[in-house]
Amino acid sequence: MQGRFSLSELQVIIRDSLYLALPDFYWVIGEISEIKQNYSGHCYLELIEKQTDEIKIKARIRAVIWGSRYGFIKSFFENATGETLKEGLKVLLKGKIEYHELYGLSLVITDIDPSFTLGEMAARRMQIIRRLEDEGVFGMNRELEIPLVPQRVAVISSRTAAGYSDFMDQLRTNNYGYVYYTALFDAVMQGSETEQSIINAMNRIASSAEMFDVVVIIRGGGSQTDLSWFDNYNIAYYVTQFPLPVITGIGHEKDLSVTDMVACKPLKTPTAVANFLVECINTTENHLIEMGTDIKTLTLGVLDEFKERLDRSKNIISPLTRIMISDFRKSLSDVSIEILNLGKDKIHRARLIIANHKSKLESESKSLNSNKDVYIESLKSGIITKTRDLLKRNREKVFTMGTSLNILNPENILKRGYTITSLNGRILKDSELISIDDTIETKFSDGKISSKVTGKYDKK
Amino acid sequence: MAKKEFSFNDSLLKIEEILRNIESGELDVDKLSAEVKKASELIKLCQKKLRTTEEEINSIFRDLS
Repeated sequence: MQGRFSLSELQVIIRDSLYLALPDFYWVIGEISEIKQNYSGHCYLELIEKQTDEIKIKARIRAVIWGSRYGFIKSFFENATGETLKEGLKVLLKGKIEYHELYGLSLVITDIDPSFTLGEMAARRMQIIRRLEDEGVFGMNRELEIPLVPQRVAVISSRTAAGYSDFMDQLRTNNYGYVYYTALFDAVMQGSETEQSIINAMNRIASSAEMFDVVVIIRGGGSQTDLSWFDNYNIAYYVTQFPLPVITGIGHEKDLSVTDMVACKPLKTPTAVANFLVECINTTENHLIEMGTDIKTLTLGVLDEFKERLDRSKNIISPLTRIMISDFRKSLSDVSIEILNLGKDKIHRARLIIANHKSKLESESKSLNSNKDVYIESLKSGIITKTRDLLKRNREKVFTMGTSLNILNPENILKRGYTITSLNGRILKDSELISIDDTIETKFSDGKISSKVTGKYDKK
Repeated sequence: MAKKEFSFNDSLLKIEEILRNIESGELDVDKLSAEVKKASELIKLCQKKLRTTEEEINSIFRDLS
């Protein structure tokens, strides 16, 4: 019979050998490639070990966590890591091999070591971080400044996520009445589609980036979070390269995902993101109000200062002016007294002059009047004597002229022996006008004769 | 687009400038009142901007998402 077993005999041998060969319990490292809980609460998994290329599978085994244990293991793991047991996680499990004649080989898990997974996750995350740092992009989004008024918000989230509606409610009902413009870019926020879905959303936002002030990546609310989907190189890289500041609210109390690390402002929950946006605007508005108050205070201060300066000048000017006015008044009165005196003096003098002139005039006109009488009298007598003289002289002249006339009368001259010779009726005074043989006429007092010229003789 | 319209940041800068000018005491009284008026108008505009919905932006945002 050696070398021939019934099926059940063979199975018994295998089972016994396994039990003999292995300790009661041991720790096994594996990666969860499948996990599901059935209706009775038992959890069935498939664990694998990959080759160093992380693609090809080197080993595979089925595993189970009985329902009585699964509740404890699940919550223990989640509490410790913030992660759910899911595909792709590397885990360290305590259990033993059970071999069932009907169902075959299976690893029955009784415990889990979350610190191993944490270490694994941390190591993976470190790898991503180091890569981003090596590429020099790690801090790029964090260097962007969140605008003073982040009013236009691009939201990457799932439309149905509780976190999204929390976020929207919080923004809408903000205490200050600020208006926000939000556009939702719907994306899958967990599971294997997360990466591509979020990158697609970011590409759509980037194509109209000028429309937005910030990008918000939110999810969460309700179920325990699944952070490791955001420990993703591609999502993180996109965030670093994004032209707008990215604010995350992907919800994790204990640790940050790589996406959070590279985001401009990582916050824990969608509500926290909404509050932050409200706070940003409120800070800006407070600054505005403060400036308004400062301007008011300063302006009043400046005006006060001007008023003070004015008052000061007034205080200086006023006594000065009083002094000046009294000085001026004094000099004015001095001058007026002077003028008055001068005027009096002038008037006095003028009066004297006038009086002087008056008396002079009076005396002069008096003497002038008496002189006039004398003058007229003398004129009168002068005229009379002069007329008399003139008459006398004229009379004498007439008399003399009468005697002269008597002497000159040719009749009287003829009587005295003189004659008048004439030629052709003209009286001759010159002998040269007479030629020989002219007949001349000679008048006498008692008649005339004519005679013929016979000879001419000079006076000599 | 809409660049010529009201800009929150420019307004803030302008208000800050006015504040600085008043602080420095370089503003003369003649300009003071005009500048203070301008600043208060800008502050009002900014505050209005934070609370008034612009339907135009809203509709653009509806199209984008």
